[in-house]
Amino acid sequence: MALAVTLLNSTCLRSRCYRHKVLQPLLGTVCVDSVSKCSSSYRRPGSQPEVIPSWRNIDFSFKKGFNALKTQLGLLKKETEDHLVGPDGHSFSQYLLEQTKVMWEFRTQEDLNKWVISSDVEIGGKSEVYLKLGRNNQGAMLYGILNTEVPRDGETKYSGYCSMRAKPAVGSFARKKYYDWSNFNCLYLRVRGDGRAWMVNIYTDPYFSHQKDDLYNYFMFTRGGPYWEEIKIPFSKFFLSSRGRVQDDQHPIWLDKISTLGFTLGDKVDGPFQLEIDFIGLLNDRAHTEEFAYETYERNPRI
Amino acid sequence: MNPHAKLICTVSLIMGTSITISSNHWILAWTGLEINTLAIIPLISKSHHPRAIEATIKYFLTQSTASALILFSSMTNAWSTGQWDITQLNHPTSCLMLTMAIAIKLGLVPFHFWFPEVLQGSSLITALLLSTLMKLPPITLLLLTSQSLNTTLLTLLAISSTLIGGWMGLNQTQTRKILAFSSISHLGWMIMIISYNPQLTILTFILYTIMTSTVFLSLAQIKVLKLSTLLISWTKTPMLNATVMLTLLSLAGLPPLTGFMPKWLIIQELTKQEMTPMATIITMLSLLSLFFYLRLAYHSTITLPPNSSNHMKLWRTNKTLNTPTAILTALSTTLLPLSPLIITML
Repeated sequence: MALAVTLLNSTCLRSRCYRHKVLQPLLGTVCVDSVSKCSSSYRRPGSQPEVIPSWRNIDFSFKKGFNALKTQLGLLKKETEDHLVGPDGHSFSQYLLEQTKVMWEFRTQEDLNKWVISSDVEIGGKSEVYLKLGRNNQGAMLYGILNTEVPRDGETKYSGYCSMRAKPAVGSFARKKYYDWSNFNCLYLRVRGDGRAWMVNIYTDPYFSHQKDDLYNYFMFTRGGPYWEEIKIPFSKFFLSSRGRVQDDQHPIWLDKISTLGFTLGDKVDGPFQLEIDFIGLLNDRAHTEEFAYETYERNPRI
Repeated sequence: MNPHAKLICTVSLIMGTSITISSNHWILAWTGLEINTLAIIPLISKSHHPRAIEATIKYFLTQSTASALILFSSMTNAWSTGQWDITQLNHPTSCLMLTMAIAIKLGLVPFHFWFPEVLQGSSLITALLLSTLMKLPPITLLLLTSQSLNTTLLTLLAISSTLIGGWMGLNQTQTRKILAFSSISHLGWMIMIISYNPQLTILTFILYTIMTSTVFLSLAQIKVLKLSTLLISWTKTPMLNATVMLTLLSLAGLPPLTGFMPKWLIIQELTKQEMTPMATIITMLSLLSLFFYLRLAYHSTITLPPNSSNHMKLWRTNKTLNTPTAILTALSTTLLPLSPLIITML
């Protein structure tokens, strides 16, 4: 017994200086101790960093899980109470009689956190985009620099876009929630632009992935003056596109299941841009009677 | 739609339903169900809208799964008992699988998630077919096998369907989804009584078909897809607005309208079968759907919404004379005094 211990110790001592060719592989698992570990932790410059096993990163306490569960159950309780009150938590008569509704307004940092900005940096371009609260916290300012220089990866032909998109509404337990805009027929925006033409995109988040690139677009032409302008875009004007290509088979957008709204700038003009948005709302314009602006004739008439 | 295609679809629907209803062999019943599924798919996807296509895919997937389960349950029964007779379904696993398969087919809770979305994606007339005609073959199969199915399971499905149908229908703003949840709720009532008195299930189904057809045909006439359009239609078709409200209240089961009859008879039968707690529960749960129908009626007739409409075609109705809607409206509101006659005919 004592002999075995001395033998093991001697092999450990030896492993400090050199690796015994036969004994170390056989006894490697037995004689690993802190001494040999310290000696083998030296890394030569340029060598790969030590790999930390993934189980070391796991937090085994349940505290975070309990807190998350409590938050989600609280959200579920609130949703149940809202369900008893009426659609979207407001009373039924409010839903029936409303003609205007403010969906997004920009007054605090939390309102800004409901939006995501992106630019062509994700494909290797050089445009910059930033989002901040405007003066006196009255509105959001989306600004940046558009750069149409094409990234040199051999396959991209065009570049130069910046966009801002609302995060989809999320209910309790990360379930998707949709907006019901069927009571309204116009998008109402109070903006102050710089004369550039923007594209407004509405995403309806379809169930199947075949249609996940479907987007309804229309243009927003800004004036650029020192005055704020109120732009009304009827939903009948929105056309269907998929992956940036306008589709042949057009149909009006169905407003009962809207997921996100977005703004994109891609007018092929290099230089700075700026768009201030006060609020984004919905309007039921009773004077607007158009149901769909495109292809209202019968496409395959029966002869 | 191309007239030839429409003819083939219509004839296939009628043929598929007839095959399933009149069959004694499981394979023939399954064939009828599959013909029905395939025939209604072009009707759902007729308007090439992404939501219609989504509804078609969802409908096809759920119905095919259910048909496969029905076939599998009949095969399991044939393996153990050696015969394919529909009325002789004796193997317990087969009975369980068949109950689940029919629940998927009908849209009973917890397999109801496809139904409102499919109805929302299809046009009003197709939604009518989906709610009435497509429910007939599965209910027939359930009626034929009702004596060997697990009563507890059926009661559980019924109560949960009534609960979820009433709860989810509370804040709907699209008329087709409202009718989908009302359909789920009514199916709950039908399934509740099927083990004790299948004749009452048939009566409930017939009356439900009459009332639902009335609502769908009336809504199709004034092209109402969402509540705001329904509420401002009183200026264009005041009588139709009033009759739609009465029919919705009849669907809710309010006396003295027709819809009260099946509910009354089912409660009476359940009480006779010593199932008074179940009768109480299911009655209380149907108060939820009564609540939202009453709320609709109140807001549309007493709180008058804005007069003008920007819906261009609201006043251009489909037909000036709509005989089926008129007859069905009369039947769906005034049949209650005839209940002694109907009960003796059962």
